[in-house]
Amino acid sequence: MPNSEHIVSSFDRDLEGIQAKIMRLGGLVEEAITKSVQALESRDLDLAKTVRRADKAIDELEEQVNVDAARIIALRQPIASDLRTVLTVFRVSANLERIGDYAKNIAKRSQSVIELETVPGTAASLKRMARQVELMLKDVLDAYIQHDADLAEDVRQRDLEVDQMYSALFREYLTHMMEDPRHITACMHLHFMAKNIERMGDHVTSVAEQVIYLVTGVMPDDDRPKEDKTPYVHEA
Amino acid sequence: MEGSNMNDMSQFDQGVAVDTIKMQSRGVNVFYGDTHAIKDVDVDIADKTVTAFIGPSGCGKSTFLRVLNRMNDTIDICRVTGKTTLEGEDIYDPKVDPVQLRAKVGMVFQKPNPFPKSIFDNVAYGPRIHGLSQNKSDLEDIVEKSLRRAALWDEVKDRLQAPGTGLSGGQQQRLCIARAVATSPEVLLMDEPCSALDPIATAQVEELIDELRTQYSVVIVTHSMQQAARVSQKTAFFHLGNLVEFDETDTIFTNPSDPRTESYITGRIG
Repeated sequence: MPNSEHIVSSFDRDLEGIQAKIMRLGGLVEEAITKSVQALESRDLDLAKTVRRADKAIDELEEQVNVDAARIIALRQPIASDLRTVLTVFRVSANLERIGDYAKNIAKRSQSVIELETVPGTAASLKRMARQVELMLKDVLDAYIQHDADLAEDVRQRDLEVDQMYSALFREYLTHMMEDPRHITACMHLHFMAKNIERMGDHVTSVAEQVIYLVTGVMPDDDRPKEDKTPYVHEA
Repeated sequence: MEGSNMNDMSQFDQGVAVDTIKMQSRGVNVFYGDTHAIKDVDVDIADKTVTAFIGPSGCGKSTFLRVLNRMNDTIDICRVTGKTTLEGEDIYDPKVDPVQLRAKVGMVFQKPNPFPKSIFDNVAYGPRIHGLSQNKSDLEDIVEKSLRRAALWDEVKDRLQAPGTGLSGGQQQRLCIARAVATSPEVLLMDEPCSALDPIATAQVEELIDELRTQYSVVIVTHSMQQAARVSQKTAFFHLGNLVEFDETDTIFTNPSDPRTESYITGRIG
């Protein structure tokens, strides 16, 4: 990948501008994940509301990124690594926006869960899982900006741990619900929240794959290990 | 790389099966006096394919193009070594008549250069000197066929006796292409054929190039990356007299393997 600058320096400024927006988008999404789970843990309704409202900024920024990328295609006709940069921008921004949506949904469900009786221990394990995805997101954004395909591959492999955490939570909630049917409503919400975080991990993985494509020009094979076995669970 | 790959699906995708090498160069060097302009270049030009030569000014792409029909013979201080064959025959063999060779390997230049003659005579010139027609109606057939092939017939059929120089730039260039195909060449060399044309005329010539490749092997030198990407199936990148990379056009423009190619096509200093 050539590090040298374009002869037409305004092209570099355009590309840098769009990458800066991606990083800002990434930052907002990281914040949304942290705060959504924090709202649940500290039973903070205001914080949950803040997260829901903040999703608008994420959506708008994604829209801006798409407009900028389309403009670069129209005006610069990017090719080779420049083309990959622009194609990657579209997909990465879409992935980040989706992660933002999941965070928003977690905040929404937090509001409901806060109104219900606490299910002991559940918020902490959900927070651990969110923390794992957050770290993966942080690393994949680093990999993106530094063009580090190895780090991206590392992130891709780490999604396995998220899947395992999700499977564990699935069983945990099932147990809680069977022990005390009064927990069913809360656990249903919590389960959706866990599922949201698991889906976030998938989107982070997709970003990691985009980084690998950006750097190498080749999409990685679909050979990473997957551990979400919950579709096959039929008894506790 | 060998152009004779029968399993090359990307070529089939584009509607033409490429299975034969029309021209082949091995270890070609060109010197202008003391200047070493082309350094040890190996190239296979596939039949019924458009091959684009790209590279910065002075990289040797036009020089190499002119190796393919011995146009460099006309430059006294120019010396060509190495082997270049057309259908397996060495074109630099002393027995080969360069004029006959250029009838088989036609050329279209950067600036449209019609002869100061009528449209008809411009196209009839080659067939006449090479004695390709038996009689007048035969010649008329060749002229019509060539003008049709150059997508110019409909525009000039009513004024074949008008001077070729009176046509628009784009029409003149298509007239030159008609003149080049009139001798039934096997290979058509084009040295920046669109650089003096407006975008509409450029599009017409590009459309024509795509049609021509169903019958000929076309080699085009261009400064426009987009043009190379649009019209060619194979692209060769020249830099400082070296052939840096030669691959499928798709590959060159999406994921070139040499950093010098990448720097050049993406417009970077490098």
